[in-house]
Amino acid sequence: MAAPIPAPMRHRPLFVSLVALTLLLASLVAAWPAAVQAADTPRRGGVLLAVIGADPPSLDPHQESTFANIELVAPLYSTLLQLDPYHYPKIIGDLATEWKISPDGLTYTFKLHPDVKFHDGSPLTAADVKASYDKIIFPPQGVRSVRKNAYTAVAQVEAPDATTVVFKLKFPSASLMANLASPWNVIFPKKYLDQDVNYFKTHAIGSGPFKFKGYTRGSTFEGERNPAYFVKDRPYLDGYKFYISPETSVRAAAIRSGRAYIEFRNLPNAEVDAIKKQLGDKVAVQETPMTGEWGISINNTKKPFNDVRVRKALTLGIDRYTMGKVLYPLTGLRFVGGLMRPGSEWGMPQAELEKLPGFGRDIEKNRAEAKKLLAEAGYPNGFKLELKNRNVKLPYQDFAVFLIGEWRKIGIEVEHRPLETAAWFSDGQDTGNFELIVSPTVEFMDDPDQFLGRYATGSTQNWGRYSDPQVDDLFSRQARSLDPVERKKLINQMEKRVLDNAYFMPGLWWSRNLVHWTKVKNYIAPPNHYTNQKLQDVWLSED
Amino acid sequence: MRTYLAKRLLLIVPTLFGVAAVVFLIMRVIPGDVTLLILGGDQTGRIDPQQLAAMRHQLGLDQPIAVQFGTWLWGVLRLDFGTSLWTGQPVIEEVLIRLPLSLEVAILATIVSVLLAIPLGMVAAVRQDSWVDYVIRVVSIGGQAIPSFWVGILVILFLVIYFGWGPPLEFTPPWVDPWANFQQLVWPVATVGYRYAAVTTRMTRSTVLEVLREDYIRTAWAKGLRERAVVIRHALKNAMLPVITLVGTEFAFLIGGLVVTETVFTLNGVGRFVVDAVAHRDYPVVQALVFLIALCFVVVNLLIDLTYAWFDPRIRYH
Amino acid sequence: MAVDSSLIGASATAPLAARLTWPEQVSGFVRAKPLGAVGAIIILIMLLVAVLAHALAPYDPYLADYGAQFARPAADHWLGTDEFGRDVLSRIMYGARIALFVGFAASFAGCSLGAALGVVSAYCGGTVDLLLERAMDILLAFPQLILALAVASILGPAVPNVVIAVAIPIIPRAARVVRATALSIKENQYVEAAHGLGASHYRVVAQHLLPNVFAPYLIILTAQLGTAILAEAALSYLGLGAAEPTPSWGLMLSGSAPSYAEKAPWIGLFPGIAISLAVFGFSLFGDSLRDALDPKLRGK
Repeated sequence: MAAPIPAPMRHRPLFVSLVALTLLLASLVAAWPAAVQAADTPRRGGVLLAVIGADPPSLDPHQESTFANIELVAPLYSTLLQLDPYHYPKIIGDLATEWKISPDGLTYTFKLHPDVKFHDGSPLTAADVKASYDKIIFPPQGVRSVRKNAYTAVAQVEAPDATTVVFKLKFPSASLMANLASPWNVIFPKKYLDQDVNYFKTHAIGSGPFKFKGYTRGSTFEGERNPAYFVKDRPYLDGYKFYISPETSVRAAAIRSGRAYIEFRNLPNAEVDAIKKQLGDKVAVQETPMTGEWGISINNTKKPFNDVRVRKALTLGIDRYTMGKVLYPLTGLRFVGGLMRPGSEWGMPQAELEKLPGFGRDIEKNRAEAKKLLAEAGYPNGFKLELKNRNVKLPYQDFAVFLIGEWRKIGIEVEHRPLETAAWFSDGQDTGNFELIVSPTVEFMDDPDQFLGRYATGSTQNWGRYSDPQVDDLFSRQARSLDPVERKKLINQMEKRVLDNAYFMPGLWWSRNLVHWTKVKNYIAPPNHYTNQKLQDVWLSED
Repeated sequence: MRTYLAKRLLLIVPTLFGVAAVVFLIMRVIPGDVTLLILGGDQTGRIDPQQLAAMRHQLGLDQPIAVQFGTWLWGVLRLDFGTSLWTGQPVIEEVLIRLPLSLEVAILATIVSVLLAIPLGMVAAVRQDSWVDYVIRVVSIGGQAIPSFWVGILVILFLVIYFGWGPPLEFTPPWVDPWANFQQLVWPVATVGYRYAAVTTRMTRSTVLEVLREDYIRTAWAKGLRERAVVIRHALKNAMLPVITLVGTEFAFLIGGLVVTETVFTLNGVGRFVVDAVAHRDYPVVQALVFLIALCFVVVNLLIDLTYAWFDPRIRYH
Repeated sequence: MAVDSSLIGASATAPLAARLTWPEQVSGFVRAKPLGAVGAIIILIMLLVAVLAHALAPYDPYLADYGAQFARPAADHWLGTDEFGRDVLSRIMYGARIALFVGFAASFAGCSLGAALGVVSAYCGGTVDLLLERAMDILLAFPQLILALAVASILGPAVPNVVIAVAIPIIPRAARVVRATALSIKENQYVEAAHGLGASHYRVVAQHLLPNVFAPYLIILTAQLGTAILAEAALSYLGLGAAEPTPSWGLMLSGSAPSYAEKAPWIGLFPGIAISLAVFGFSLFGDSLRDALDPKLRGK
């Protein structure tokens, strides 16, 4: 590629420099198309067609916790903070442009973007942020706020001027920033909340990249481009449309036939394989480890499960490593880990994990120990137990089938009782009427407060109904620990204590497959189906 | 005739009341709580017991059962079926969104199956025990034997794998775009219709057989009329009564029977709505839908009985 | 004059033709109703398979072989294996137990209870009849599947509960049919005569009513057998029937069987065929039985 230099170099320094510069520029020009191809110019226009598996009970994210809600309405709203779609788990601002945390950790000051307008044209100010957060943290009588208890540290929210919001805390909260980045904490216009605090259950007026267009229950949900969005030149799409379709195979067929371009939650691996086989390069599969874990709650108040030996035997009897290999192609359950996601910043290192009961690699040794423990506890020939479950095939049923086979090998006969969701939830959460019950944990990010809260005494998610003051103490200390190193130590200690006593049996962590047509550009699959749903930067390379 | 009608109408009332009471009680007996489902979200969300209690109070679920039943009944009499516990929208609205689709599938399935079944049933009866009869009987019995959800799955799979087809995701009413509507409904109608056709074929065959043995048919034959004239004019008219009965009652059940087909083909219809509502423990919706289906059934029965009384000359001259 | 001993005891109303022996009756049925015979053969084969499943099935239906998931039908697994490596043929054989158990139990329970109610209703007449008729009407007004769905939701998914859930909608249908027949018999002269002669209610019912409602009872029993099997399949498909890892045919078709259909079509194909065959056999037999027993349709 180097052209011959016409004159002796030592006599033409300027000339040489010019030629070198020309060559440099030439090579840049030659390489430019490749560079452009790697970073295509986003095309404007087109409607993103997606499928989703359910209807939400209402459109108000403050009051719901199902993917069916957030996937549909997230593009219509803005939040104070958000998770960086390109660099999980970094937290960046959405409405907030900058923030300051006081040295004692009790005052958080946020500055807002100055020119934000709601879809009805009215300006978004700190008063709207305050009103929305008041609704979340201090909900009025009769209004539910699902995540209220994550903000017990907050004393009050203030709006000293139109572009400043201040959170005043009673005690330091290490997870506050993470909780403020929650995709569910959308900002509503205060004036509608003042009229009717439940207004947004059936209406959607926000400041997001898209405006609400239409909703036919059980059928479709549509949004259209917001031309006055405060982020310049966004969104690229003209709109988005969700088709609501509860049958998994129908959703998969919709992607396959091109009637829909993307499914945001998860399709079974068998369907994904079939789609990939048929469509080849036209589709892309993004696989992400998920912030979600399937485990088994043990009823610590019932005999014989109040005996730690029996609980340990049960968890020792599960060959988690084989389970990951077997269940992964069927269900997506894949990674062996403890109470925090393996591979995340809070996950326990593998070497430490393997020392805990049920996580060792030598399954024969584990089974022998399990049988020994059972004999010690008075069950030399095993016993019968009942495993309650949710009657959804993936991954609940397959998870149970494997477990039942495992426990058979240590002499425990399991009666499998799948229940409808309503009954399963009632037995687990409400009445505690179970011996063992399958219970999953899925959150929107790897936050210790979110994942570990359920192991504390009295938490409504503590289905196993156990109480250990040491665990409670470690939990509240880590919640206030602002130093990440110190916090991680406390978290590991807490995990160790829970798993040593087998209060709860983690199973496997989920890995999900998000399949979409390659014409859907710039969508980076986050590690769960709650975040990165705004569709702000997504574009279609063709209609 | 008029006293007959009055008596029949009067008998409807206790039946409907009984249906209402039964479905009301059944829904209350099923374990599980709608408030938990809403607050719990997808998996095991956080639930604040105070919020739970507040919500139950809001939905009127903490009142004594008799009061709840009374309130509901009073509403029904004013055609107010209450609001859905799951969505907070009026039940009537939710039902009306979904009803046209189910009705269209039911009506089309009825038409298609009747058009098929009556000729086939007649042929089978007239040529009893011939190979034609056997074939028709085997096909219709076989048709009834195949689980409809399995057929639906097989149809979808076949179309998806070999034609790159996808089941329709939206419902376009026929007056907006008939071709799109046809494309959306052809397969569900076929899946529901073939079973219906099978049942009706068998019924037609047996009633025509019965009629063919009647004395007045033999008399007509002895008088020398051509076979076809005999069969069509006399036999069909009288064989039609039980067939009409069957078509009528099967239609009333069809709405409920659409449940599985609507699930397989993901049609946003009434059948699937009932299943979802039961799963959500959304009492008002289930009560309203079951009540409406029962009403439909009872009304159809009444109409059939009246048709019977009007058509059958023997009854008319009673 | 020597008395022909074979005539001693013969009453004036005995048929002049010699009575047929059992084998002769059966072969007569087969010749007259070949379709019914085919149905009967299918039923017998299924019963045999169900009863002898433990001897005939090559594998334990619960045994998961993680090395052989999604195996194609071949010499070692005639019908292939499913997503857990379980042998499909063995699961279908054991599945026959559940399908036939539910079919027979639900149909028998529903029809018997219904028949009893129908007889009582017809015989007692008056207010009892009125009340029972209303009750049956109420149950009939519920679409069969929805009623079964509701009952299964109350009781929870399990095989015995499915039997109850499927039996309940059958009761009013059987009651209706039997009541109609019982009513027409009640009008008969000889019942009145029996009363006149001082026969107790029990005697009248047992000796006159029951034998004559037996034919319609049998007809509706066989008619509902097929429906019961389909209902169990539908409930299992909806997740309200038998639970994993039980080898129920309906359960095998549910959930992700469509998802695996391209990779391993045998998983969803054979259970569907099994269900269809079972219902087909029962329907053929039931149809022909009804043709044979129904006096209006007998013969040419």
